[in-house]
Amino acid sequence: MVQVGSSLQRRRALAATFVAAFALILVPTAGAESQIYWWQHNMAPGEQGFSRTTAHNHTYNELYFGPNAGWRSEVWEVTPAGYRHFDKVCVGNCFNSHPGYYYDYPYCANRDGSTHFVNDCMDRW
Amino acid sequence: MRTRKLSLIVLTVAGSGVAAAVLSQVGLGGSEKVQIGTGKVSALSRATRASDALPSSVLSYPFAVHNFASPNGAGARLVKSDGSLKLYAVPGKAGMVCLIEVDDLAQTAGGACADRRVLLTGSIYMADRQEDGSRQVVGLVGDGHTYAEANGRRTPVENNVFVLREVEGSQVTIGSTTAAQTVDLGD
Repeated sequence: MVQVGSSLQRRRALAATFVAAFALILVPTAGAESQIYWWQHNMAPGEQGFSRTTAHNHTYNELYFGPNAGWRSEVWEVTPAGYRHFDKVCVGNCFNSHPGYYYDYPYCANRDGSTHFVNDCMDRW
Repeated sequence: MRTRKLSLIVLTVAGSGVAAAVLSQVGLGGSEKVQIGTGKVSALSRATRASDALPSSVLSYPFAVHNFASPNGAGARLVKSDGSLKLYAVPGKAGMVCLIEVDDLAQTAGGACADRRVLLTGSIYMADRQEDGSRQVVGLVGDGHTYAEANGRRTPVENNVFVLREVEGSQVTIGSTTAAQTVDLGD
């Protein structure tokens, strides 16, 4: 009877360990989310794409013109209080990956002097 | 006599037109279109080393799928290592070439990919705004470029790349022994 109880305890402990390990594996995946906040538009010079629905702890921001990129672009982030962070100007398709220091909104813009087709701008948090 | 006069007028008008077209290219539009080299990036042709492999974190970004010629970053070359900052040149899709920056200490990464023709008249660069308002500018240039300069400070181009720190203002100059190009960083 004692042996049966001990075996049951071992099984329960093993099962609990598996559940805990599985949960740990899932945590980073469950925490990471992404969205495309600007989708297939002709973007005028200086026009800004952005997502201001909910501020997030962003770690990634990308502008993608397409495979023919050759124009100046910019990605940056702005906190609800208006502070600008993670500001990167590029030539062509552009990304900026960084630690999630601030709760903020993602922005992207075509900084060339003429209108260009932008496939998407994407952020991650 | 009349025909000769008419021919002279036609020739004069046509000649003036050609001269005006040439002058507009040299004097106005031409000043922004100085070409250096052929757009070739020799750093991409050197023998592979183990250190050329891009970090797996960079390969996991959507940017890699969108832009790199190979999803595993094949053909990438580590072109500069400066403290915690590493710069990689990477072959891109459809004639593009990419510059990737990775800073292990700051835990940041960035990238720019553009058509290779950009390298004829300028640089594929990234300009990062710093806390003090200045910019850190890293750029990929084609063969033939020998220097980059901002705020009166000149840095040599090595392995087709340059790094300029504490850049104030909105312009960087890149050049060869015989010509110079102005790169506009914007406001």
